[in-house]
Amino acid sequence: MTSYSNQTSSAARFTSFLRNYYIYFVLVAVVVLLSTANLDQFALFERGNFLYKRNIINILRVSAPLLVMAGAFTLLMVSGYIDLSVGSAMSLSAVVYAMLAINGVPFIPAFALTVLVGVLLGAVNGFLVVRLNITPVIATLITLSLFKGVALLLVQDGVSAIKSGNFLKIPGWFNDYGRAKVLFDLPAAFWVAVAVTLALIVVQNRGKLGKYAAATGGNPTAAKLSGINTGRTVFLLYVIVGASAALAGIARSSFMSLGDPLSGDGMELTAILVVLLGGTAFSGGEGKVLRSFVGALIIMMLTVGMLTIVPAYYQTLVIGSALLAAAASNHLVSRKGKES
Amino acid sequence: MSSLTENIPQSLQREKMSDEGFITSLVVIVAVALFLLASLLVPNFFQWQNVVNLVTNNWAVISLGIFVSFLLVSGNFDLSVGGIVALSGVLSVWFAQSPDGANALSSGLGMPYPLAILCALIGALAIGAMNALFVVRLGIPSIIVTLGTMMVARGIAQVITQGSQRNTNLPDEFGFLGNLTMFGTSVKLPVVLMLLLFLVAVFVERKMVFGRITYWIGANPEAATLSGINRSWHITKLYLFSAAVAGMVGILLASEFKSGFSNRGTLMEFDALVIALLGGIAITGGFGSVIGMFFGAIILAVVTSAATGMVLSPDWQFILKAIAVFLAIVTQTWAVARRNR
Amino acid sequence: MTGPQTHTVLSVSGLTKDYPGVRAVDDVSFAIEGGTVHCLVGENGAGKSTLVKMLTGALDPTSGSMSVNGNEYTPNSPQDARKGGVATLFQELHVVDELTVLENLTLGMERSWFGFLVKSELEERAVKTLAAIEPSIDPSARVSRLSVAQKQIIEIARAASSGANIIIMDEPTAALSEREVERLFGVIRRLRENDVTVIYISHKLDEIFELGDNVTVLRDGKHIVTKPLADVDGRSELIEMMIGRTVFQSYSPRGTVGNKVVLKAQGLTTSLLKDVSFDIKEGEIVGFYGLVGAGKTEIARALYGADSFEGAVDFKGKPVGRTPTAAIASGIALVPEERRTQGLFTNLTIRENIPVMNLPRVSRGGVFKAADVQDAAHQYVEQLSIATSSIEKHTEKLSGGNQQKVVFAKCLFSNAELLLLDEPTRGVDVGAKSEIYDIIKDLADQGNAVAVFSSELEEILGICDRVFLMFDGHLQEEIPNGPDVDISHILNVVTGGQESVAQ
Repeated sequence: MTSYSNQTSSAARFTSFLRNYYIYFVLVAVVVLLSTANLDQFALFERGNFLYKRNIINILRVSAPLLVMAGAFTLLMVSGYIDLSVGSAMSLSAVVYAMLAINGVPFIPAFALTVLVGVLLGAVNGFLVVRLNITPVIATLITLSLFKGVALLLVQDGVSAIKSGNFLKIPGWFNDYGRAKVLFDLPAAFWVAVAVTLALIVVQNRGKLGKYAAATGGNPTAAKLSGINTGRTVFLLYVIVGASAALAGIARSSFMSLGDPLSGDGMELTAILVVLLGGTAFSGGEGKVLRSFVGALIIMMLTVGMLTIVPAYYQTLVIGSALLAAAASNHLVSRKGKES
Repeated sequence: MSSLTENIPQSLQREKMSDEGFITSLVVIVAVALFLLASLLVPNFFQWQNVVNLVTNNWAVISLGIFVSFLLVSGNFDLSVGGIVALSGVLSVWFAQSPDGANALSSGLGMPYPLAILCALIGALAIGAMNALFVVRLGIPSIIVTLGTMMVARGIAQVITQGSQRNTNLPDEFGFLGNLTMFGTSVKLPVVLMLLLFLVAVFVERKMVFGRITYWIGANPEAATLSGINRSWHITKLYLFSAAVAGMVGILLASEFKSGFSNRGTLMEFDALVIALLGGIAITGGFGSVIGMFFGAIILAVVTSAATGMVLSPDWQFILKAIAVFLAIVTQTWAVARRNR
Repeated sequence: MTGPQTHTVLSVSGLTKDYPGVRAVDDVSFAIEGGTVHCLVGENGAGKSTLVKMLTGALDPTSGSMSVNGNEYTPNSPQDARKGGVATLFQELHVVDELTVLENLTLGMERSWFGFLVKSELEERAVKTLAAIEPSIDPSARVSRLSVAQKQIIEIARAASSGANIIIMDEPTAALSEREVERLFGVIRRLRENDVTVIYISHKLDEIFELGDNVTVLRDGKHIVTKPLADVDGRSELIEMMIGRTVFQSYSPRGTVGNKVVLKAQGLTTSLLKDVSFDIKEGEIVGFYGLVGAGKTEIARALYGADSFEGAVDFKGKPVGRTPTAAIASGIALVPEERRTQGLFTNLTIRENIPVMNLPRVSRGGVFKAADVQDAAHQYVEQLSIATSSIEKHTEKLSGGNQQKVVFAKCLFSNAELLLLDEPTRGVDVGAKSEIYDIIKDLADQGNAVAVFSSELEEILGICDRVFLMFDGHLQEEIPNGPDVDISHILNVVTGGQESVAQ
């Protein structure tokens, strides 16, 4: 029971160092691997060089949906909760956004309304978990099914996605958000992801919400006894996750120029993978927004990089194995940290 | 804590049905009531054949639901079963395909069919063993582990089928098991196996030590350990059994369609969980029964087939499932709380 | 020190708390002076913890009143109490490991501007308070790196800086090493210098003499005395006031104690236990007596294979396996400390609870013999006179005493020859208590060995043939029970008296 701080040996300090910085080593290792491997026979990496500008831009562009979600998802997991519905929320937002655009709503209102939808979806999760006290896993499995069903229903029968047809056309500005070069040849979607991440880093380090999230996940009894409204904290976090899922949906929809009701399928798993890879403990309390962002970059680089080496049908296997490996190593490291 | 209530003359206290019995009866009543309601709304719904179809069309999910229910009662998720269905089906095809096909997808390992099935089952068990390893040995939450193994299992299936399916160059007997009709009726072998499995599961759950241990672990893991129950080993067995049944389902489905399709069984893990939750099994552990799960499957089947009958778009199924599970959980919490007030 | 003039900061008058069938606190009135360390002592069951719970707002008094600084004080929750200026240091720590020291100090009391944290005077005050009471703790350090004692100091600093002028400490030294205890005492003295009142609850009498200004003694729920410790004539007077008598209920020696040693434990060592060795004879009831945290539960769990340990345990000449499964197989059964979380399956019925520790006895080929399960349930309901309308009753609906009897039934059903009983009558009403004592004596009379682990001396001296006294993980002394047993000596030993003599 008793533990002594003076016994935290150099080994413990090493574990803690590892926990804080390993993700950057992994990032460097992956970049080195992908840049030195001779991949020029494959189409995506031109001239066999990973660190080639067009290639980097391409990867960052397709990463935008995952990058924008990673931060909010981290804060939610830090508070000890989980959201399995983010993929469906993302799909639904993509569909809503495309529908608004195709029906002539201009960019800004369409964007704002879609984010509002995301907020509502998050509020539904928050309501089920906080108010009705349904286990987070079950509650968000329910909404996974619900949001997906609504997304599918919104798309006309016999059509696979919202896209330009005979009468209605997707407007020309639609894919500007996800593709048009804004700054350093990167699109707005990417910069929004960066801005959201920066904002959440500030929230985590300087905001009341970030602190309350850590307290709720770390020691819920202590948090409640200190007068923290843990229910409101969790509700707010679900709402933020919902909003960021909507931003992801907009980014994906804009990049692909269509509103695909299945576009977010499996995203919840990638989000969990990224957050675990970033060292967030699933027991709560522990985790950093920035590290998840880096984790998301790594996963996207590997996914895109992998496509140049092996066929696409290896993807599920690799992501699944990575999830298990991340969960196992994360668990071992965080347990060692706790024991010391 | 009061000892006063104990002193009320015992003859005056009529013994109430257990909460579990109450919830199971509630599920049965809801299933029957929904069927009657659907009969009023949907033409030609009220037919014997339709009742039979409700069961036979769902043999795969009910089979999977059995050990998903056992695991849920013990306090663990198993979301890997859908992936295992795909994996074992694809493996059985790949192992049985003769090696001299024209291209990669039409040539396999050329094993005799029984050996191919056996090896496919071993593949399924390997996934179950992974579940047990990560959940029991490493203590990682089962939801994350089984989502991961689901992807691993399906991922292997996708690699073997190169993302599509294998259906050529198979021996004739490959299609036998999945299409064998029994007792001179149109009922197929998989349905009979499901019913047998279900009856055995009810017996195991109600009458056997194995079944009760599952409840003890779910009800109070610590007390179970202190009462001499080997918790790790029991959970390991449950994951292995669950994987074996999922493997069997995959093999039978592959046989029925004479193909190994890497996307087969998609979302089956969710359906198996949904019917267990509809059947009143609580994730808090130690509560629920496979009988409830069976009627939970009937509820889901009635709702979805009635929706189809009322010409709702098939996309409605996701929303209906969500609403059904939501209502089931809220009703169960409310009903038990009210009874125990 | 505040000087010669004293003022009352907290007083209770006519405070009473009734539980069904038990009056836990009976018309207690006393006053606490500001800027003092006020100790609260009494045996287990004397009403200390009930009194503290009323002070912290966790329980409502049945009658009577409390006042703080002259105002009426009726807290509804620990938070409420803190607003009233009364903070509590609970036995379990309420700090968030993942946050820094400073973040913990201001937790729940942050000042913010549009959701962003801003520096506040409270923060400054917290840092100053911490620096004043323990300068060695870096406010920017992560709490997970601190020791238990340092975490306690953070809680104290938080309480003090949040404006509490009364801090209740319930057994704060239970998990601390000697050096840490000294440090904590330093902190408490500094608090006193800053005019903070500390209500200090401890079983360790030396601590009380070292630290306290005044002492209040409770016994059987009643207020015995409140007076300055300077006027107390040493440990023996305090012990006498606590127990109020020299003999408990009559212990009658039983003639069934055999000579055959059935259990031999040698050199049991864990993180808490230090080289504990003893043996138990057949037909004998032995008692392990000591304070909370002295290592009683650890011995029980080690013998049962529930925790890992170093040392050797032989039962009937053979080493016992190191899992509960193996222990049960060799004939050992444990009634665990926490009956609801460790002993019972509360959402299952009596019938379903009883057979779990001996499944082969009611099954063949893995299938239950339903009639045998029923018979077993009926037999034990009758034998232990468990008050229930049916064996199909869910155990969560039974009273504490009947729940405990079901746990006993589980163990008896396993055909154990050695029963380990950890706090066998905790939370059990008086009637059921004596029934449980009868059960224990019957078991021993039939030749079984019984080990009772208890922090109630009355219980130990009422039924045990031989008593082992525990202090701080050491088995200090072994004494035979009898009419001439020296209670003061026992209390002296288990409160660390021998330790201080030895040093």
